Amino acid sequence: MSQHFYHQNHTRVISSSLFENVSLLFYETLWKFQRKDTQCQAFVKRVIMSRLFKIIMISTVSTNAFFMVLWTDYKTRYNLFRLFEVSELIFVSIYSSEFCMKLYVDPINYWKDGYNLLDVTIVIIIFIPYSLRKIKGKHYPYLNIADGVQSLRILKLIPYSRGIRTLVSAMRQTACTVASVLVLLFVLMYVFAVLGFCLFGVPESADLNNWGNLALAFFTLFSLATVDGWTDLQQQLDARNFTLSRSFTIIFILLASFVFLSMFVGVMIIHTEDSVKKFERELMLERHMTLMEEKHVILKRQQEEVSKLMQTQKNVDHKSFTELVEKFKKTLRHTDPMVLDDFGTSLPFIDVYLSTLDNQDATIYKLQELYYEIVHVLSLMLEDLPQKKQSQSLEKVEEK
Amino acid sequence: MATYHPVGHVQLPRADAIRSRLIDTFSLLEHLHGLSQAVPRHTIREILDPSCQKKLMLGDQHQLVRFSIKPRHVERITHAQRLMSTLRVRCSESPPLSLWAGWVLECPLFRNFIIFLIFLNTIVLMVEIELLESSNTQLWPLKLTLEVAAWFILLVFILEILLMWLSSFFLFWKNAWNVFDFVVTILSLIPEVVVLVGVTSHSVWLQLLRICRVLRSLKLFARFRQVRVIILALVRALKSMTFLLMLLLIFFYIFAVAGVYFFENYTRSTRQDLEYHMFFSDLLNSVVTVFILFTMDHWYALLQDTWKVPEVSRTFSSIYVILWLLLGSIIFRNIIVAMMVTNFQNIRNELNEEMTHLEVQHKADIFKRQIIQRSASPFSNPALVLEDANQQWESLDLTEASKEESKHSATKESSRASKSKTKKSLSKVKKSASSSSSSSSSSYCSSSSGSRYYDPIGQLDWETHVHQNLPGLMDMDQDERVVWPRDSLFRYFELLEKLQYNLEERKRLQEFAGMDLGQPWRPGVKSIGVAYITGEKKGVCYFGTSASEFPPHT
Repeated sequence: MSQHFYHQNHTRVISSSLFENVSLLFYETLWKFQRKDTQCQAFVKRVIMSRLFKIIMISTVSTNAFFMVLWTDYKTRYNLFRLFEVSELIFVSIYSSEFCMKLYVDPINYWKDGYNLLDVTIVIIIFIPYSLRKIKGKHYPYLNIADGVQSLRILKLIPYSRGIRTLVSAMRQTACTVASVLVLLFVLMYVFAVLGFCLFGVPESADLNNWGNLALAFFTLFSLATVDGWTDLQQQLDARNFTLSRSFTIIFILLASFVFLSMFVGVMIIHTEDSVKKFERELMLERHMTLMEEKHVILKRQQEEVSKLMQTQKNVDHKSFTELVEKFKKTLRHTDPMVLDDFGTSLPFIDVYLSTLDNQDATIYKLQELYYEIVHVLSLMLEDLPQKKQSQSLEKVEEK
Repeated sequence: MATYHPVGHVQLPRADAIRSRLIDTFSLLEHLHGLSQAVPRHTIREILDPSCQKKLMLGDQHQLVRFSIKPRHVERITHAQRLMSTLRVRCSESPPLSLWAGWVLECPLFRNFIIFLIFLNTIVLMVEIELLESSNTQLWPLKLTLEVAAWFILLVFILEILLMWLSSFFLFWKNAWNVFDFVVTILSLIPEVVVLVGVTSHSVWLQLLRICRVLRSLKLFARFRQVRVIILALVRALKSMTFLLMLLLIFFYIFAVAGVYFFENYTRSTRQDLEYHMFFSDLLNSVVTVFILFTMDHWYALLQDTWKVPEVSRTFSSIYVILWLLLGSIIFRNIIVAMMVTNFQNIRNELNEEMTHLEVQHKADIFKRQIIQRSASPFSNPALVLEDANQQWESLDLTEASKEESKHSATKESSRASKSKTKKSLSKVKKSASSSSSSSSSSYCSSSSGSRYYDPIGQLDWETHVHQNLPGLMDMDQDERVVWPRDSLFRYFELLEKLQYNLEERKRLQEFAGMDLGQPWRPGVKSIGVAYITGEKKGVCYFGTSASEFPPHT
């Protein structure tokens, strides 16, 4: 306890500058800041964690997804217009109230969870068409884009399914390696795009459709990389009698499609193996923990029963468990067999256990020997010290 | 018997677990509540032995008899053996029909006949379809033969299903391959029945149903083991990929609905030269288009087509297509490949689980042999401990136990001339009893230091070695069961529990000893050192006295 105070004094001494003092005080008050509405907060938290809330959210999102499917058809939209407006209002209100409730429960840690950030983005996306309509008027050409992006609402279903969540987290880890391969591919494409533009897009008889500017060159190259319709593009280049066009295309296809896109597969295989193994290990661990807990509960119950028994039988003088079962033991006979396939009563267990105990004894004995040696050496050292010190120590010892 | 003080004793979880095991095994709770008064006092052997039987019959006739259970090595029991040992079969005068049906089904002749019929069915169908359109009257007998053959084959299949039902109705439905057979046969039966009934309308539909006959060839899949394994592996791989497919469906949905909205202008445009005009017109078409993009087919042509309409913003449409290509066909498809590869490896390992099980058993066998060798090795002085004067009650108890066990093993050996398994277990008990007695005796005697130095430094790995092999050992013991006499089992549990408490106490004493030695700057060290040196001869018994009684002076 005293050490703890010592440490605190130590830190106080170290921070000497005024600013650091002030910031330290500020942080202390901030961490000590307590919300006064703990009961309301606890209530709202219980509501959010309850199963009913989850069921409501899942059904809301699914109904929303279904209605969006119906909306895409113009005729149904026309006939059931009022229903759609009302349902949209309901959905938006449910989403925003969920957001507010979750934010209210834990404002600081809310932003640390990825799925909460997803919720926030979806709420923002929901409000985009409305705000666009207000700001830019009804005939803004990009309104249909904003409507199309609403289909992302179904992503809210993902946090409620455990399997998909593990899958997404596994995919997130592979995303880094995937990103690096993609960047490499992009660099390769950039090099070839510039090359292709200069070779096929600039000269007199240029293929302006496909290699006119850099963006078009990129598209053409992507088409070559995914080997889709590349023969048509090659034909157009052939028709203009470009030299080197064939080798250019073939080299690029070999590099991009065969090498890079196959590298993708290899990288993903390795990562998927690792993540699947990890997932299985976690599952086994969890199962093991629940099993241990159950065993513990059973054990406790048994103990309580036995102690109850011992307490209730007051007429006989039972001091311990062994006396309680004395009578039972007398009924046991040697010729009664009991067959057990319990590991604890099996012979290998006895062998292993006793050997382990022997090992422990051997180690302890060796340790003891070492102790003896240490003490022996120390005592020899003491004897070698000058006589004065020895007499002093002897006096001290006699005082004790 | 040793006493442990209930006042100040510490609850050890291990000891509690052992006690609870004891209570469980002997059902002590029911007994102490007075519920189970029925303890069987006699064994089957006493009943079967005529002299004992006479004695019992003359005396108390209302006693319970315990059936003697002999542990037996469980091999794989085939279905045929199970059928043979049902009560119905054993107690009836003539064997029931289900037995005969089962025999017929397992008979290799019948199986090969069915396979041959399936092949014949395929050939017949092929020929029939070729000849279907021709109206050559000379081929009419051939057509008739083919038709008759098809009907015959159908009847044989129905007969086979009836036989399987006869053999065991409920087990039929539990096997997925049988259900598949059943469904295929019914599907190919329906058009025939319909034709017989005389419905002549919807002839095109009827034709299609007739082609269901071809499904009968699928029955082949169930017959060959290799094909079965491959299909099982496929089904397992698909099952583990369910979440991936669900995620893929979600993305399909997102891009399909977004596509309808993004390409609204493209759909509504009035230009005549758009090739893919209807591709995003409504949701169904949009889903198909998204799938087409997923397979990366003509995506650039589609994109260029959409650019023809000026109202479609180029950036958003190209973002849409490129994003979907990257996400869907490049990333997702490769994830599917990766998961299939991983799953196939796992499945292959699991299908070889018999091999791995044997391997694990082999390792556990080796481990067991090592233990026995170790415990039977140079413990050469077994009888030293009884010369120690002090409270060696721990070792006394254990030697008592081991002496009891050796006694019991002797009696066991004499009284049981039973199967080899029990003999092996008996010999092991004897060996371990002797070795444990020797080891326990020598473990608590530190003065017999000569025999202890056989422990090489290589034994530092013992704990990890045990930990590695322990699961294999625990698994192995599912097949071996040990027969204990009841009272020695009770005594075993009691002693094990006491051992835990003793070990705990010894640990505490060691800590006391270590504490004193751990602070060498105390002025009393010299005296303590001298005291230790003199106490060395007495060995552990010095620790038996309480640690606070170290005299500060010699």
